[in-house]
Amino acid sequence: MLEMWLSGFQGLLHVDVFLFVILGMAIGLIFGAIPGLGGSTAIALLMPLTYSLEPFTALALAGGVMGSVPMGGSITSILLNTPGTAPNAATCLDGHPLAQQGKAGLAIGAAGSANAIGAIIGTISVLAVLPIANDVVLLFGPPEFFLMSVFALIVVATATRGKMLRGLVTGAFGLMIAYIGYNDIAGGERFTYNIEYLWDGIHLVPALIGLFAVAQMIHLMVKGGSVAGSASAVKITKMTAGLFETFKHLGTVLRGSLIGTTVGAIPGLGGTVVAFLSYSVTAQASKNPESFGKGNVQGVIAPEAAICAHDCSALIPTLTFGIPAGAEMAVFLGLLIIHGMQPGPLMLRDHQVEIYGLIWALTASCVFASFVGLAFVRVLAKITLIDSSILVPLVLSTAFAGSYAIDMSIENVVVTGVFGVLGYLMMRYDYPRLMIVVALVLGGNIERNLHQSMLMGEGGWSIFFSRSISIFLMLSIVAVLALPLFRALFRQLKLRAVPVGSDS
Amino acid sequence: MKRLFGTPLTDYLPALGLLVLTIIYLVTGYQYAPQARVFPVTVAWIAIVLIGLDVLSRTKTAAGAVVTRWLNPSAASHKADEQFPLRKQLIAVLWPLCFVALIVLIGFLYAVPIYVMASMYFRGRLNLLLCAVVSAAATLSIWLLFAQLLELELYPGVLFSEL
Repeated sequence: MLEMWLSGFQGLLHVDVFLFVILGMAIGLIFGAIPGLGGSTAIALLMPLTYSLEPFTALALAGGVMGSVPMGGSITSILLNTPGTAPNAATCLDGHPLAQQGKAGLAIGAAGSANAIGAIIGTISVLAVLPIANDVVLLFGPPEFFLMSVFALIVVATATRGKMLRGLVTGAFGLMIAYIGYNDIAGGERFTYNIEYLWDGIHLVPALIGLFAVAQMIHLMVKGGSVAGSASAVKITKMTAGLFETFKHLGTVLRGSLIGTTVGAIPGLGGTVVAFLSYSVTAQASKNPESFGKGNVQGVIAPEAAICAHDCSALIPTLTFGIPAGAEMAVFLGLLIIHGMQPGPLMLRDHQVEIYGLIWALTASCVFASFVGLAFVRVLAKITLIDSSILVPLVLSTAFAGSYAIDMSIENVVVTGVFGVLGYLMMRYDYPRLMIVVALVLGGNIERNLHQSMLMGEGGWSIFFSRSISIFLMLSIVAVLALPLFRALFRQLKLRAVPVGSDS
Repeated sequence: MKRLFGTPLTDYLPALGLLVLTIIYLVTGYQYAPQARVFPVTVAWIAIVLIGLDVLSRTKTAAGAVVTRWLNPSAASHKADEQFPLRKQLIAVLWPLCFVALIVLIGFLYAVPIYVMASMYFRGRLNLLLCAVVSAAATLSIWLLFAQLLELELYPGVLFSEL
């Protein structure tokens, strides 16, 4: 196997292949930064160009695109609160407050380095796990998928600390929205009110663009001025500050990467859940959780490390079972097929060099894209100084066009507008927006997998108690729910222990 | 300002708005077959309980204080933009909504330059030449990226789609 790893790596060192990785990286950075486009559009666009390429080179090009999309997305998330891709929405939560404080350089630097380290950890994990991937993924069935989705939802809800109730309210509201559309369990549509577009449900990306980009632009219009306030507020004197911050928080990077790798390998959960889960767990574990959402650099590092690690591990279900972990992987499957590679257990045997080449290309692209981000941090941070009267119309034009481009549906534009107003009202009245995103992603999963689990268990709940991973996940859910109560209890006991009149 | 349980009536509006939407959802949900409605209806009932707690946490009562302390300690009744006049906020919300209406009516290639120019000129009070240059550049970029590079047919608008 080591021989195959090295063959894959050596293949990348050929000048022509390497140039295609760089080309992919550049395209990925640009497409990642434009809301609504992302990696799936970029790969779909490049697919016809790969016909004449060798399979190895074509996969290297795709790896180049997939590796750099997260970095492109994080730049706009930090600077404009506009997530280029859905997973980058988690980066907005602390990245944009940092930009508003004039620390855009620090945030982009941290995102870039976290991306690079996350990719390296993800690659090492995937290389180690790939030979046994078939057996590991088969351990997960509908009961585990259901519990994993519930676990993710609860972890994120409990992490909106100080606002848990409002987090739960928006989570429930998000689930209600997620159940709009055709119901493939009972058949027939629900809550569509005879609107044909709603049969497919509310599309995630237009909703995200509205919730974050449009809402932020409305806020900027109300506030006036620029994102960062004044030129003197933009502190980018040390371009490497973000890099050092990442190394200062290596534990956060490791945790994010591990979450990205393990959860990313589970089909159906996707990068958005991974990013929010990593963010939430980091906030939970922090000694200073109140600082999250207000510009804590760990809130940038955690999701970014997880996203890149996830991109590597998402290859596991895609390659071994032909089950795409997301839209990007679905398009990538098409690329594999047109180059004569049939995803499945045999692919791991027959196309090892191509697979390892792809993984190396993806990692190299992640690392190079981070360097590009770091190199241009000074220029990019200037965007935060553009006056809102110029910035707002430009961002909104791109955001609405990107929303339309997802599937050329004008209704997407309307959804983006509606969610923009909803997002602004949520900002205005202090309801956390992250729960609505996670609920939108997981709502369908939860319903479908519970239904399948009940069928497996012949209508009984015993199925959840007869599988070891299910039991472990249920215990984890109980632990996560109990954690805030234990914390509150511990705080009260600590307060009682302090003598009356003491200053400490 | 009128108060209810020590809290201004307007502070209840967000939660009550959500409650109204949830009730409409719930009523609609009960029209579906039992298997189809079980999940959405359960979630809607949970939402009603949670919204009830949210309303309670907004009151200046002993029960409200308990709910706030345990579940909502740092949630504010108002946060962003509270200091700005409501009229300014309404106008800011209307700009993107008008842009959406414009896109639906006349399509991207006409709506983008009109919106960018109008927004920069009327909102930003910027130089007319600069507004024209930026709006032309924005439209050109969108056309090049979406219509030329991605080969997507940009939406022509309801008014022009039949022509």
